[in-house]
Amino acid sequence: MEMLTVLNPLNLPLAELEVGKQFYWHLGNLEIHGQVFLTSWFVIGLLLIASILATRKIQLVPAGFQNMMEYAMEFIRSLAKDQIGEKEYRPWVPFIGTLFLFIFVSNWSGALLPWKLIHLPDGELAAPTGDINTTIALALITSLAYFYAGFSKKGLGYFGNYVQPVAFMLPFKMIEDFTKPLSLSFRLFGNILADELVVGVLVLLVPLFLPLPLMVLGLFTSAIQALIFATLAAAYIGEAMEEHHGEGHGEHH
Amino acid sequence: MIHSTILLAAEAAEGKGGLFDIDATLPLMAVQFVILVILLNALFYKPIGKAIDDRDAYIRTNLTDAKERLSKAENLAKQYEQELAETRRQSQKLIADAEEDAKRIAAQQIAEAQQEAQAQREQAQRDLDQQKQEALQSLEQQVESLSRQIVEKLLGTQTVS
Repeated sequence: MEMLTVLNPLNLPLAELEVGKQFYWHLGNLEIHGQVFLTSWFVIGLLLIASILATRKIQLVPAGFQNMMEYAMEFIRSLAKDQIGEKEYRPWVPFIGTLFLFIFVSNWSGALLPWKLIHLPDGELAAPTGDINTTIALALITSLAYFYAGFSKKGLGYFGNYVQPVAFMLPFKMIEDFTKPLSLSFRLFGNILADELVVGVLVLLVPLFLPLPLMVLGLFTSAIQALIFATLAAAYIGEAMEEHHGEGHGEHH
Repeated sequence: MIHSTILLAAEAAEGKGGLFDIDATLPLMAVQFVILVILLNALFYKPIGKAIDDRDAYIRTNLTDAKERLSKAENLAKQYEQELAETRRQSQKLIADAEEDAKRIAAQQIAEAQQEAQAQREQAQRDLDQQKQEALQSLEQQVESLSRQIVEKLLGTQTVS
């Protein structure tokens, strides 16, 4: 804190940078991050309102908002279909789609909305995906999802995946089960937080105009990160359900 | 970034907070996400997916229907064309037959007429010949009587005497 006052000796009304400060809520003897939940509820509300608006009166010839949401739906479907395959993708569309929509809207809400204008007693509002808890939660759910996909498709034969194509792959495949959620969660967390920090630091140094290109770049990375998370989740699920009989790698195109 | 590391260090010293502060937010966020999946499935994916699938089915049935109708229409057109060609051929044959008939009838009638004309001419000739004969005969008789009268007139007295 002293460093900040040194950098801002004239006490100009410059933006402050707060990292790692949490707005704690106490739930029994549990502690939760209130600012993450506030923004995530905002995102969830946005998604639900959009869904209700799009499906309020469904027409054969789509118009307006229904059209846009149908475009989103087709995008999600094609994403899931590309990764999981034509035969199996349908039950996974809600999961993959919600991953994509939740992360995308979270990221963009963090990049576009001036959350920092709302003052909290402690910490500050930001994208929910910039919090390690959110990303680990999403990554662990993804892990559970692909385990579920594998076991429900092949039963215990799913363990056969671990010795494909050769038996000594076993340790690597086991390590993969840990690295998958780790990389998923830290990639998303790191990108979003880094984007916010870079913009924050630049705003701290040069408050006008200069951060704008970086903010645009941030919008781009945010969208890409949502796409990457959803695509990888779908790819893991598809991989878990893949058939290995013979040299059957030609099922997924 | 200096600030953040400093702040991180400061908060680590406080013993609370920090970037990697994992607590009950994690499971609650997971539960919240699963609820969101269920809600969006009911509110968004199912109705919109159904709308898209329904439209696909609608378009597909309409398309097959239209294709069926098109092939039917093409078949009908082909059939009509065939019938038309057949009818045209028949009519041409009919016309040709009629023409032939007419020619034949005309030829026959002409021949008959000629025959009749020939017969009539022959008859007329015959009548003429007969009348000529008769005229000549009567003329001969008259010549005889006249010549006798002339002879009588000339030599009448002598002969009488």
